[in-house]
Amino acid sequence: MGKVKIKNLKKNFDDLEVLKDINLEVKEQEVICIIGASGSGKSTLLRCINALEEASSGTIEVDGNDITKADGNINKYRQNIGMVFQQFNLFPHMTVLKNISFAPVALKLKTKEEAEETALKLLRRVDLEEKANVYPEQLSGGQQQRVAIARALAMNPDVMLFDEPTSALDPEMVGEVLNVMKQLAKDGMTMIVVTHEMGFAREVADRVIFIDEGFIVEEGPPSEIFGNPKNQRTINFLNKVL
Amino acid sequence: MSIPALIVQYWPRLIAGLGLTVEITIISLILAGILGMVFGLLSVSKRKSLRAIALVYVDIVRGTPLLVQAFFIYFGIPAALGIQSDPVVSGVITLSLNAGGYLAEIVRGGIESISRGQMEAARSLGLPYGMAMRSVILPQAIRTMTPALINQCIITLKDTSLLSVIGVTELTQTGRLIIANNYQSFEVWAIVAMMYFIIIMILSKISKRIERKMSYGKSKN
Repeated sequence: MGKVKIKNLKKNFDDLEVLKDINLEVKEQEVICIIGASGSGKSTLLRCINALEEASSGTIEVDGNDITKADGNINKYRQNIGMVFQQFNLFPHMTVLKNISFAPVALKLKTKEEAEETALKLLRRVDLEEKANVYPEQLSGGQQQRVAIARALAMNPDVMLFDEPTSALDPEMVGEVLNVMKQLAKDGMTMIVVTHEMGFAREVADRVIFIDEGFIVEEGPPSEIFGNPKNQRTINFLNKVL
Repeated sequence: MSIPALIVQYWPRLIAGLGLTVEITIISLILAGILGMVFGLLSVSKRKSLRAIALVYVDIVRGTPLLVQAFFIYFGIPAALGIQSDPVVSGVITLSLNAGGYLAEIVRGGIESISRGQMEAARSLGLPYGMAMRSVILPQAIRTMTPALINQCIITLKDTSLLSVIGVTELTQTGRLIIANNYQSFEVWAIVAMMYFIIIMILSKISKRIERKMSYGKSKN
């Protein structure tokens, strides 16, 4: 059974049709990379999966629950779906430790002690244990993004969504974030990654999805998409970015 | 009589006037704070009807002079209802409603100054809207709002002087009553002005300290 099942998803912003009939199934432990030009709808698709954008029509099931009909339950569903943003969006008024432990405590899923212990473990995982008590502002972009990943993981999600996680980083910091993501993939996390990092997609993705003008134009294993793209639009896009 | 001699002679009345000024300011600001928070939150709501309520309130407050608001509440409403009104109570209601409108705008501006990503990050963790607002957005918004909040406190303190026209014996009215006795307009208004000035300077100093204390993680420079 698929972990994430998207059927006939459409999304309009007023008159602008951003997603036009998206169908996608993501299996447990699968790593999906979504590629495409800016404005193609790839970020919107990702944001629909945890209802940061409301789908105009269609269904999005995560673990068998239809997010588009969640209403009051949406908070419960979101706990299960981690999200990492392009701009990190760490909470600037909280220390790194608090950033990570805050939500599990506030939602009464863990005691403060348990949550902080988990937070420290996660910080060790992203190699930032020594930064537990500093504020986000004192961290580099790469470090902030690693904390943001740890914060999402603290909710113990089944699926992780990454919205261009390295696009706002200085080039020398991209590697450290991608390494954390690679490790996460290796540990069996189900991941959907919107990215411009073709090297990462090629190396880590089980499946690459190319979106253009609101449609999934082509999908397949990275060797196929990058090595032998079929659709002319995919070829044109890859010629531009590679 | 010289200014020092006047101060000595009228000290108890001046202090009583100043006391009432401060008291009215504090009570009004507390009530205005509640109004400002409620209507500020309404004005950033997703629901159009709630935003409309906040908009009407703010527009009425901003669109009419404070003096007219005071007259309406002290004379107008009691006349229509056939009840007796108390100047201090009417004064507090007027200032609360007035400052509440401006505070609502400050709260709205503060919330809107926080990047949308903050709310999205909080919601993506599964936090309900109210909790995200309270724990993530407002603590940051209040920080950016602080200078405007302090400004509004000072404005409200000075606005209490307008309540002298409905007979509240706050500091300005006290000054008028003293002058009615001794006709020393220059000296008495100088004393009254000085008293406002000193109390506002004290308030500014305190708030500067609060502002400094509220900064977090920032390198102190």
